[in-house]
Amino acid sequence: MKAQVKAQVKAQGTANAQRQFDPVAGHPTPQVAFADVTLDLGGKTIIENLSLGVQPAEFLCIVGASGCGKTTALRLAAGLYQPTRGKVTFDGQPMREPRREIAIVFQDYGKALLPWRTAAGNVSLALEAGGMPAAERPARIEELLRTVGLPGHAGKYPAEMSGGMQQRLQIARCLAQEPKTLLMDEPFGALDAMTRQGLQDEVLSLVAASGVTVIFVTHDLDEAIYLGDRVIGLLPHPGRIGIELPVNLPRPRDQLSTREHPEFLRLRRQLFDFIKATEQ
Amino acid sequence: MKTTGILWRLASFAVAAGFVALWQLIANFKLVSPVFLPGPDRAWASLVRGFSSGDLLAKLAGTVEHMAYGWLAASIAGIALGAVIGSSPRMRTYVAPSLEFLRPLPVSAIIPVAIAMLGLTQAMALFVIAFGAIWPIMLATIHGFAAVEPRLYEVARSLQMSKLAVIFKIALPSASPDILAGMRLSLTVALILAVVCEILAGLDGLGHWVLLSARAFRSADLFAGVILLGVTGYVTSVAMSLAEHRLLAWQASQR
Amino acid sequence: MSDNTAKNTAKHTAKALVLPVALLVAFEVWARATHLQSDSLAAPSDVVRALAEAFADFSILIATRDTLFSAFTGLAIGSIIGLALGIAFGLSNTLNRLMEVTVEAIRPIPSIALLPIALIALGFGYRMEIVIVAFACVWPILILSRAAVRSIEPRLMEVSRALRLPAAQRVWKIIIPAALPRIFVAFRLSAGIALIVAVTVEIAINPIGLGAGIMLAQQALRADLMLAYLVWIGVIGYALNIVLVVAQRRLFGRAALSGDSA
Repeated sequence: MKAQVKAQVKAQGTANAQRQFDPVAGHPTPQVAFADVTLDLGGKTIIENLSLGVQPAEFLCIVGASGCGKTTALRLAAGLYQPTRGKVTFDGQPMREPRREIAIVFQDYGKALLPWRTAAGNVSLALEAGGMPAAERPARIEELLRTVGLPGHAGKYPAEMSGGMQQRLQIARCLAQEPKTLLMDEPFGALDAMTRQGLQDEVLSLVAASGVTVIFVTHDLDEAIYLGDRVIGLLPHPGRIGIELPVNLPRPRDQLSTREHPEFLRLRRQLFDFIKATEQ
Repeated sequence: MKTTGILWRLASFAVAAGFVALWQLIANFKLVSPVFLPGPDRAWASLVRGFSSGDLLAKLAGTVEHMAYGWLAASIAGIALGAVIGSSPRMRTYVAPSLEFLRPLPVSAIIPVAIAMLGLTQAMALFVIAFGAIWPIMLATIHGFAAVEPRLYEVARSLQMSKLAVIFKIALPSASPDILAGMRLSLTVALILAVVCEILAGLDGLGHWVLLSARAFRSADLFAGVILLGVTGYVTSVAMSLAEHRLLAWQASQR
Repeated sequence: MSDNTAKNTAKHTAKALVLPVALLVAFEVWARATHLQSDSLAAPSDVVRALAEAFADFSILIATRDTLFSAFTGLAIGSIIGLALGIAFGLSNTLNRLMEVTVEAIRPIPSIALLPIALIALGFGYRMEIVIVAFACVWPILILSRAAVRSIEPRLMEVSRALRLPAAQRVWKIIIPAALPRIFVAFRLSAGIALIVAVTVEIAINPIGLGAGIMLAQQALRADLMLAYLVWIGVIGYALNIVLVVAQRRLFGRAALSGDSA
């Protein structure tokens, strides 16, 4: 597994470098855009006047104190919520309902997988929804499970897998949608530190290989800087943008050298101060 | 580990055999009048006689048939109705309270009404059995559908699954443990109601057989019938357990 | 806030009543419009009148007394036997394993199948009904109380051993109180079963109580009285359930209800 990822990373070294996102000379039309979005839920304003554009192939991380509406913002992008005012668009078209080009990885993998289907069956669900003929599915399932590092686990039920494996499985199902945009809601929040770092690197290489756009919500500042092309910090009550930081760290990134990079430490300091200020 | 399990099982069978021997002794010494209590030897002889002449087999088949048809009809209707009611929050608020009110109603009380409508017929028996057996299944299905993890519905939405696909791929499998538990409960209800209907309407079956035997004070035949009813209850419940075990294999690892 | 929730519950109750009230009104109108003459159906107003008459001449009250007497006596006997066996099997694994085959052989016999045996041994009347009800109630109590005893916190059993409590006191002071919430759940379920079995026996054969009353009304082609009995039996079943659920909540708090699925 490890060797395979390394090989992939090497092969995509150049692609990775190109992926380096430049917000100034960015793509003219964003893939996912929030235009002055406000959301009221149960008489409370959760998100207020949020404007945001995510360019194709960008890796955007959203951080913020708990209750700042970062998960809600992600659900708006997924089409699971409709804004009270303003507009959410995907490729220029307004989002009225969820679409198959947008996949969402939920934090609570235990609830988002079908416990009565095996790993292969869970991946198959997305293929079935996409109308892939039954005969073509097994090969695709095997390929996807290999991509996320679960070869040989096709016949296992989610309950027989560790948390990290279940989250890999959920990612595989999302990849089966062949999404243009991948929304990730604190996907590694419930995992231990070692598993988490391994999955971070795997997500980076997967994203580099497929060129998918990612919006990644996390409360872990290091994770946000390590993964993202850009980090947005939200202010709570109601949720709105408080800080926006481009991350100019070289790719491919490395758990040791990237985290020791002076730029990483500077961004970390800046974000840390921001979050601390919002909590007071 | 395994051998001790088998040894326990054997010891347990020995204890059961001891009880049968005790029963035989009580009968032999006529501690209880043989009119009421035949020895296990006489009950066994009656069983063998009944099966070799085919009488008892026909009665057994009759009871199993009543039970199975009623139960199957109840299962299909119960799951369908439960799915419709359970998957719509609006239906739940309007219909579920009425169903909850009807739940503790002793279902056998519907028998006179069924007799008034359908007479002492096979149709009456099937209606009563199905009516009695539908409640546990329908209520379990409603509960199962209402308790589907909301996150799974979101997954279905983001995959843009059709309404039908959501029911068959998400809701039904998710509710299947509840539904199967309801079907298991209904099996017992169906057997009891089958016996009662046979007694009341004189339909061909073990219920009628045991009643006739009792009226004629043929206690050996009576016990043979009761034993067969016990076996029917046991076999159907074991079959149901096996089915549950197979269908819910995915749950085994969760517990 | 509390005003709001009160309003909400009122709204829910109102919504719950929409369906049954609508059905009753529609049926009443239909029955009046078609001058319904039937052996099996009667207008709701006629059913209410028949129920009132049955109350006025005490016939339904006497029947209720008979049914409840048989059901509760059977329930008491069945509970005591079931509880004693359940506690014994729960405490002694040896006993439990030795009795396994015997229990599994007798338990699946449908209670109603004992009816003819009870009939020839005891004749018509309370006694045969009580025996059948008791038989039906033994099993749920046995199985649930056995599970309840087994799930008692082992620390508690160690305490009782350390205190050197004699066996009888151990059962009375530690085991029963510790297992009581779950035993009560078993009792509640069995009470429902007792009522069902009692009515069923009466409908099938025994000429006493509510079951016999409803059968008699049917044979007399009194659809209104028959449905009045049906409604009344339903009310009793519902009331019994409510009383026991409330008692359970009062005695053991809401937490005890979570043991229901067991």
